[in-house]
Amino acid sequence: MGLREDLERFREVGEQRRQDLAEFIQYGDLSGGRPDQIKIPIKIVDLPEFAYEKRDMGGVGQGDGGTPEPGEPVGQPEPGDGDEEGDPGEESAEHEYYEMDPEEFAEELDEELGLDLDPKGKEVTEEIEGDFTDITRTGPTGTLDFERLFKEGLKRKLAMDFDEEYVRAALQIDGWGPDRVFEWARTEESIPVSRAWIVDAYEGLSADERTTYGSLAEMEATVEREPTPARIRREGIKDIPFRREDERYRYPEIIEEREKNVVVVNIRDVSGSMRQKKRELVERTFTPLDWYLQGKYDNAEFIYIAHDADAWEVDRGDFFGIRSGGGTKISSAYALAKERLDEEYPWAEWNRYVFAAGDSENSSNDTSENVIPLMEEIDANLHAYVETQPTGNAINATHAEEVNDHFADSDNVAVAYVSSPEDVTDAIYEILSTEQNDE
Amino acid sequence: MSERPQNKPMSESDDTIYTPEDIRMQREAAKLEEPVEKANQLARKLGLDPYPVNYWIVDYDEMNELIAYGGFQQRYPHWRWGMTYDRQQKQSQFLGGKAFEIVNNDNPSHAFLQVSNSLADQKAVITHVEAHADFFANNEWFALFSRDPNAAAQLARHAETIRGYMHDPEIDRSEVERFIDHILSLEDNIDQYRPYEPISTDGDENGPELAALEDQLEELELSEEVKRQVFDEEWLESQEVDETDVTFPPEPEPDILGFLRAHGKQYDEDAEKAVEMEDWQKDILEILRREAYYFAPQKLTKVLNEGWASYWESLMMADENFADSQEFITYADHMSRVLASPGLNPYSLGLQLWQYVESSENRRQVVEQLLCVKGVTWRNFHEMVDFEEVLALLEPEDLVASVDTDRLDVIPEGDPRIDYETLAQARDGDVDLERYPWMLFTYDGLAERHYSLVKPQNRGYLSRISLDELERISRYMFDDEKYETIEKAIDAVDYTVGWDRMREIRESHNDVTFLDEFLTQEFVDEQNYFTYEYARSSGDYRATSTDYRDVKKKLMLQFTNFGKPTVVVADANYRNRNELLLEHRYNGVALDIGQAKDVLKRVFELWGRPVALRTIKKEYDDHDIEVARRRNKEPEAREVGWEIRYTGNEFEEEKVEWETVEHLGATDIDYDTKPEEWLA
Repeated sequence: MGLREDLERFREVGEQRRQDLAEFIQYGDLSGGRPDQIKIPIKIVDLPEFAYEKRDMGGVGQGDGGTPEPGEPVGQPEPGDGDEEGDPGEESAEHEYYEMDPEEFAEELDEELGLDLDPKGKEVTEEIEGDFTDITRTGPTGTLDFERLFKEGLKRKLAMDFDEEYVRAALQIDGWGPDRVFEWARTEESIPVSRAWIVDAYEGLSADERTTYGSLAEMEATVEREPTPARIRREGIKDIPFRREDERYRYPEIIEEREKNVVVVNIRDVSGSMRQKKRELVERTFTPLDWYLQGKYDNAEFIYIAHDADAWEVDRGDFFGIRSGGGTKISSAYALAKERLDEEYPWAEWNRYVFAAGDSENSSNDTSENVIPLMEEIDANLHAYVETQPTGNAINATHAEEVNDHFADSDNVAVAYVSSPEDVTDAIYEILSTEQNDE
Repeated sequence: MSERPQNKPMSESDDTIYTPEDIRMQREAAKLEEPVEKANQLARKLGLDPYPVNYWIVDYDEMNELIAYGGFQQRYPHWRWGMTYDRQQKQSQFLGGKAFEIVNNDNPSHAFLQVSNSLADQKAVITHVEAHADFFANNEWFALFSRDPNAAAQLARHAETIRGYMHDPEIDRSEVERFIDHILSLEDNIDQYRPYEPISTDGDENGPELAALEDQLEELELSEEVKRQVFDEEWLESQEVDETDVTFPPEPEPDILGFLRAHGKQYDEDAEKAVEMEDWQKDILEILRREAYYFAPQKLTKVLNEGWASYWESLMMADENFADSQEFITYADHMSRVLASPGLNPYSLGLQLWQYVESSENRRQVVEQLLCVKGVTWRNFHEMVDFEEVLALLEPEDLVASVDTDRLDVIPEGDPRIDYETLAQARDGDVDLERYPWMLFTYDGLAERHYSLVKPQNRGYLSRISLDELERISRYMFDDEKYETIEKAIDAVDYTVGWDRMREIRESHNDVTFLDEFLTQEFVDEQNYFTYEYARSSGDYRATSTDYRDVKKKLMLQFTNFGKPTVVVADANYRNRNELLLEHRYNGVALDIGQAKDVLKRVFELWGRPVALRTIKKEYDDHDIEVARRRNKEPEAREVGWEIRYTGNEFEEEKVEWETVEHLGATDIDYDTKPEEWLA
């Protein structure tokens, strides 16, 4: 049958037809992926058709031994709620998903947005033995670097060796004694000879011998000084002065595997002014950022902080949906973030990203008096504030502006504005490229 | 592509050399010969009249292939089949294999049995298939396409033609593939309520006017240059429509595929204008349109047809012990898995509705009889009638309830419920009544044997009848004092009315008419159906109603027009420039604009000139949503006219005057089931 061919075509088409990444981020269903799950389902674009708007359609459900009261939430409609075609065997209207893991996601996003974030390794997680390229002064005999010992010995020999005959000839100059020769050898001839050797040699000479030459010039005319290499070549190396201090033992190089750890703090304003659309925009911006960092680093951990006038930590599942009534005090979230980071994620060991989002509303002076100092105190690769304002700026919503002004020259603070899904990819670029510039 | 040798109808034999695999298939075939024969006999006794069915034994891979190909062995090359196949394999990998029944609408029908299925599953599939074959043969919607579709051969021919184009060195294969994709985007945009009429491949699609005009121009003997400048093709085309001075098409046309087949062009990028479609394009467009019409009846009768097959399968398998007790456990498990699939399941909705139709028809007749008893009126019905007594009287007589093979000699002569031919054979020992007790009975006998009202799960039906319905029934009664006693009235009950009525319904109904006519509050309550809507105020789905009218509305929305919005060709000379204007018949449920735009791109490829779509869009204000949320209400949407135009390289979207779209809005239907106020 031709089905094998069809299957191959589908695989090809599936790769090509997956939703464009930017479009997926802006409009796709991001709820399928979780930072703790590995697969990000990106809809493979099936053939389009004239269809009803899903949410506007509603549907019919069947209760199991009773029906829910009107107004009761019923969960997401199950796939296969009636609108698929044909037999259950050919549920053709369902979408296929192209599963992307965060690594691939990060790669694709780099490509799509022209980013190139190079994650830094932090915590040393293990040391592995590399090649035997490092050396130490002690060690098992088997690892002794004999070649080095020999070379060092040779160097030493070359350094210490001198033309004994020549020095002895100098001692035979009439009127020169050991002191005069020593001075001559050391200062005029740079011969590495010791006073003791000269004294010994002088004593070994007979009185006649001590007056063989009338003057230095006569001696020099008679005796030619032979350079060391020539002498060694002539005489060969009889003995090499091996010294303990020249001994070196080889040992393997220790490579420190620095794990690329990242902790991402997601902060969200959940106060009353953060309505549905703003919440969605935050989710659209934060979720791809989380995936991206997850894909870039070996080990990613996430902290979710919700705040109104107070801050508290929440699960990811609740993070994007929470609403509360209270006012807004953004510094409460930064204080909690600082506490959590200091507690568990020391800057020496962790890359830190602190992302906050809200509609820029804050209680008076909180930004300048508390938030900015806290942002300065919290060491992080990147601080970002995402302002979500679908309907334009409210008058007293100045948080983003203040942060932006204060950190205008800083290279680890990004401020991005998102007022509709179209802005999301720009915001992500703005945020991620800020750190990149810092590199 | 060659066929695998084991794909042979079981009955056929020839001189092929058989592999061990073939032998395995043949063994399975031999094992299933008797169940196949008996299932058909039983189906006929139960009043069904199926097409003959050829059963084919296939292996697991072939089964998956058949599923991918929509029940056929050969389809045109397309990645979509690969997608279904891939999903099918993943599903059986993760969910465990289900026994799929594959039977296609053809005369004879072809059905496929997977060699590795248990005998219980095979029997279930066979009984299910017989009922489908009956449905294909008798439902009038299937007659719309053809009573003799010769489908397998036709689809194979289509496959061959399209494969031929793909391999044609003159034609770019990827272009063929893209062209097919464009058409498939519109495969539901046909007029499924009209019989299929082919649009011929030859003949001048431009119509006689244009040809005549061209002739006149020839007669003017103008220079080529003048002709090119003044009377260019565009002018000619505009003349074609202008001359008639009426909108074209005269009536909005739902068969978009057919319209594009007849009048569509392709855009030639080099010439920067619309040019005639290639012959291969016209051919493929018509082929795929024909297939869309062929498959339409199945889509129109999904609930009805699947429910029908499940009903008779269940009756044969469970009630008539077609599966032995050991097999029955496997069967029950299989059945519960099929019926318990998540979401709204057409199998279970259909099955429940058919059972409900059967019982309410039976009840109606019993009540009619009881209302003819002296002293019983619709007002005092519940006081006068002892329902336990009635049910006891309705119990099938021993003669049909069970078969005692040792006492065949005491069966009386001349009973309409007994099949005397079988009885004679059984007395001679030629028929195994232990195994197939139903063979002893006629249709009448079986109807009594399986009378629905006395089944344990239905015993409440009779007493549950409402005063409203009693009154309605009594309104048409003339002789209401026919019987002295309840006993006499019940004695006159005809056990076959339920099944008779069911067969009538399966002849003329489709899903929409079926749901519209038979879905009642009683049914909705009994089966716990409810509606849900997306609540903008809370951002999630909420249950909204258990009123049967609401449930019906939502079901109608899901089954009317394949559950898709109706889009029609409104004007083929839009903007006086031969642009194509489509209109969405807005029924209160918004169109998925994003997808619609993608479809428009494809329509452009089939029209060759700019295309536009008008619809009504719902807009929600963020502030309104917030206010509504606080008041525990749903926000009001603002409906605005919306037009999307695709020029071939860009989209233009704009709000249009309400007057231009007003006629699109439905005034009499409201699919919204949200209550005025959410319960706190």
